[in-house]
Amino acid sequence: MSLFKPASTAWLLAHEMRLAWRGYRGSRSGKGVGALIGLGILFAFACLGGVLLALAVHGREVPIHPLAVLIADLLCAIVLTLMLSQTLGASAEALYERGDLDLLFSSPIAPERVLLVRSLGVATGVATIFMVFAAPLLLPSILYGHPGWLGVFGVLIALALTATAGGLILAMGLFALIGPRRTRTVAQVLAALVGAAFFLASQTRTLLGETASETLYADIAREAMDGRLTPPPWASLPLRAMLGEPLPLLGMLAVGGGLFWLATTALGRRFSDAAAAAQGAASKRRRGAVKPAGAFAAGAFRATVRKELRLMGRDATLLSQVLLRVLYLIPLALVLARSAAKVDAIALAGGAGIVAFMAGQVAGSLAWITLSAEDTPDLLAVSPTSTATLRRAKLVAALIPVALLLALPIAALTWFQPLTGLITAVGAGLAAWACGLINVWHQKPGKRADFNRRRGASWLATLAEIMIGGLIAGATTLTVMGLAGWAAPLLIVALTVLMVMRRTDEQIGRALRVAS
Amino acid sequence: MPCSKPGIAALTEALIVRGLNKTFAKPAVVDLDLTVHAGELYALLGPNGAGKTTTLRMVAGLTKPDTGEISVYGVDARQDPAGAKALVAWAPDEAMIYDRLTPLEYLEFVAGLWNVDPAVAKTRAEQLLAQLGLADEARRRCEGFSRGMKQKVALAGALIHDPRLLILDEPLTGLDAAAARLVKDMLRARVDAGGTVILTTHILEVAERMADRIGIIAGGRLLAEGRLDELRAQAGGAGGSSTLEDVFLQLTAESASA
Repeated sequence: MSLFKPASTAWLLAHEMRLAWRGYRGSRSGKGVGALIGLGILFAFACLGGVLLALAVHGREVPIHPLAVLIADLLCAIVLTLMLSQTLGASAEALYERGDLDLLFSSPIAPERVLLVRSLGVATGVATIFMVFAAPLLLPSILYGHPGWLGVFGVLIALALTATAGGLILAMGLFALIGPRRTRTVAQVLAALVGAAFFLASQTRTLLGETASETLYADIAREAMDGRLTPPPWASLPLRAMLGEPLPLLGMLAVGGGLFWLATTALGRRFSDAAAAAQGAASKRRRGAVKPAGAFAAGAFRATVRKELRLMGRDATLLSQVLLRVLYLIPLALVLARSAAKVDAIALAGGAGIVAFMAGQVAGSLAWITLSAEDTPDLLAVSPTSTATLRRAKLVAALIPVALLLALPIAALTWFQPLTGLITAVGAGLAAWACGLINVWHQKPGKRADFNRRRGASWLATLAEIMIGGLIAGATTLTVMGLAGWAAPLLIVALTVLMVMRRTDEQIGRALRVAS
Repeated sequence: MPCSKPGIAALTEALIVRGLNKTFAKPAVVDLDLTVHAGELYALLGPNGAGKTTTLRMVAGLTKPDTGEISVYGVDARQDPAGAKALVAWAPDEAMIYDRLTPLEYLEFVAGLWNVDPAVAKTRAEQLLAQLGLADEARRRCEGFSRGMKQKVALAGALIHDPRLLILDEPLTGLDAAAARLVKDMLRARVDAGGTVILTTHILEVAERMADRIGIIAGGRLLAEGRLDELRAQAGGAGGSSTLEDVFLQLTAESASA
């Protein structure tokens, strides 16, 4: 088996894949049948969509028309953007995640090969996600008259390779430009911004206003249909590749592969140096005038709130997730402000409900981090501070950023419609508090580093959060519409769900002991 | 640093443990009786898996005993856990710190947990960090610190609330020679000032040189307790000039073969 000769690229790649597979299996353990059933249902719906698509396009060929070319290019740009968002985060993280990097770099294996394999792992992961989503939609058409559409998977691979090269170059560029201390945070934030770019672009109607955006879209479509918009010949390559034309497909794969090879080969040595520099350097502060320490917080409650806010503020991944939500709130704030100014009752009420729902979701995510992610549970356990005080402090710490986040849309609303602003604030407060409480009752202890995503969260708690958030959002919407009487049943159901989810201190303690 | 807690009368026994039992998959601590006098440095020794850490975790309130009594300066730790915890500090071999906090921020948090007056805590934090050679690192996040530096930050955290009973599990692990000496001197000074320290260590020379009294535990049972000369006598076979290592090995070997 010369292919898997020890220390060869294939051998190293097999090692990476094995670790990735075990990591995946580890993360799946304990997810239960519920999650599998949910995935199965989702897959079945996607397959149904795929079958309907296959029936609809059977016997028809996709024309190489300017509008089709534009749509294909746009799709590629969106996918590439989303992939770049993932690969940038993964490339930056690879510099700081120690894992087995020290072992690999201290071995006689060339750093270029280590980077090549690690990057191949990133590219494979990204490509797989998109292919898994695309497969049920496309396979029926591929099997029923359009075998050439297999090219879509080739395009996805080419895009994944390009995005990985781009992510790597960007991460290394940031490292050289702003140093190890800030790269991690900036890369995560940048990844979030890149990921949100598509969403913001889709909101041009909201951002530019209805008339301006409709004129823009209509102009582009008319130009394309009339044949006045003539994209350059190379612009049709992605569409041709997706339809299975061999040369364009090979061309795209060659470009993606070439970029990937160039980036990993050129940056291999720099990457190993940067990874070494990242260790320990991440926290170095410039020497200079040392500021006197500020006053210490008085008491366990304040000290805990302050500690949690500091930890949240220094969590790059969490920050980028919060930033994403801020970005999502900007169009919402604009819709609310416009509707409030024009007294558009339906849009206003809907917007108020969305704010309340959003408050619950953000509060739930942050409370999950502050309550369950604790690096030193033993320190808290040996202290004389009561668990109830610590829990209250952690919940308050999670709610403070939510209040700051939602201040923007609520302030915009209150400016034009004070009563609606008040109702929205109450609805948002209730949703945030309820979703926070669910996380108090359903903690799953673990190290903060493991909590960057909502991995391991109880599906029941997540479902309850969505339900309660939705019910309170509905009640908020109805109250803003002047139907407060109809809001009451929704609030009663929300309260009932909350009571069902409630756990006593003893039950929480028992669950925590079992979990740890 | 003085060890004082207003309102608590000076007691001669810092820790009294009676009939302590804990079983996990198999018995970890069996009918353990232990007495640590106030103002002494007590070393709890034993081979790996002897039950040292389990015992200390029960004293610190981290693990619930199956049966038995624990009294810290006269406070029943099972009846009034918060009262007992207020008198105790626990520093395990793995430093309990937050990588994303600076040492000063960490000490602020720990002081808050023990409800130390903020002004007093701030002064004490700066003194402790200076004493431990961490003044220059006080405003750097702990994530880049070496194991020894993290251990020192954790030790400062254990001392920030001026505990009457300080429990240290392998406190010298990861420290270089100079830092180990510094920590030993600080512990000795604390004991000389009236504080009580219980430590576990695998470095028997440290126990021999530092401890006022030594307890040897194996299989969850206390095999012998006392000053070194008393241990020699209890070991029987060991000669008058035998080292703690000789006594320890003889006692634990007898226990293993019993």
